[in-house]
Amino acid sequence: MGLRQDIDKEGAIVIPVFNEEKNLRATVEEIRRERITWDIITVDDGSTDGSRELLEKLPVTVISHPVNLGYGAAVQTGLRYAVAAGYGTVVLMDADGQHVPSEIPNLLAALEKGADIVIGSRLLGSSAGYRIPFLRRMGIKFFSALAEILGGTKIYDVTSGFQAMRRNVAQFLAEEYPVDFPDAEVIISLGLRKFRIAEIPARFRRREHGISMYSNPIRAFYYPFKTILASFIVLLRIIRGKK
Amino acid sequence: MSFQAKLIITAMALLNGLFVMELLRKRKLSESYTLLWFFVIGAVIFFTWAEQFLFSLTGFFGAITPVSTLTLLSLLFILVMLIFFSMKIYKMERRIQELVQRLALENAKRNQRITP
Repeated sequence: MGLRQDIDKEGAIVIPVFNEEKNLRATVEEIRRERITWDIITVDDGSTDGSRELLEKLPVTVISHPVNLGYGAAVQTGLRYAVAAGYGTVVLMDADGQHVPSEIPNLLAALEKGADIVIGSRLLGSSAGYRIPFLRRMGIKFFSALAEILGGTKIYDVTSGFQAMRRNVAQFLAEEYPVDFPDAEVIISLGLRKFRIAEIPARFRRREHGISMYSNPIRAFYYPFKTILASFIVLLRIIRGKK
Repeated sequence: MSFQAKLIITAMALLNGLFVMELLRKRKLSESYTLLWFFVIGAVIFFTWAEQFLFSLTGFFGAITPVSTLTLLSLLFILVMLIFFSMKIYKMERRIQELVQRLALENAKRNQRITP
């Protein structure tokens, strides 16, 4: 896929979607209510609940995976599209309503201050009151420490998918992005490549419908092992001079 | 090992070879995998008849009986094959992901959603 180098559009909001029929409309309408006029690029990752049909009726760009590939792959497809279409900035947010669109201007303001990527955090400032189950909170702390040790960047909420990034980061991630649990290893990878990463407090909400991808006990068990291994491999690839 | 046992093992191995050939003929197996299985069948027949070699190998490994040596070799072979097929599956997964993403992006383009 040839990626165009010119930037001819200001920004886009990329939303990966998998079985979010009950949350989608509210998420898109809330973005529009905030007078955010950027294009919304949705990537349906092989939903089976009617999400794709609903997306066709909403004022968004729809990219459809014919089969389910996983959260990371959906994000990567959205980034590829955004880069190819010439967007200068990309905001990543989830379709489940947990990310509050009114926080997007804050992310962009932090980006303007010189960061390459800004993470919206549940663990900073006033947003620290957001309830995260104990085990998950411990996991986030552990991976935050791992990201700091391996990647040299202190990010408290390494699992946050609420992010704003410049085109250079989007271009990099469009080429190399983990299929599942793109958390600490992405932070480490960006940190090792000297991208400037910032983290700001952001309000989050509990999802109203559906379940999180971390709720599956098998995936929850697999997650820490995969993330630790992937984090070290990122470091090893850098040391060995590969991407 | 008795002569009768050797004959039975050889016959089973050859039947397996015919089965693999049939799979190749029906395009259910590639030439490269067929060659791999021919190699395995050849090894089974070789170890069945070259008893002296198997005894030497048993001594080399420090195993007690030739059966232990065969078990060890079989396990090693299975392990190597599992790693090989894991690699193959991963490679396929990557290709499928790339294809699905490209298809999705091309469809989006075709719907005139990307500025030409």
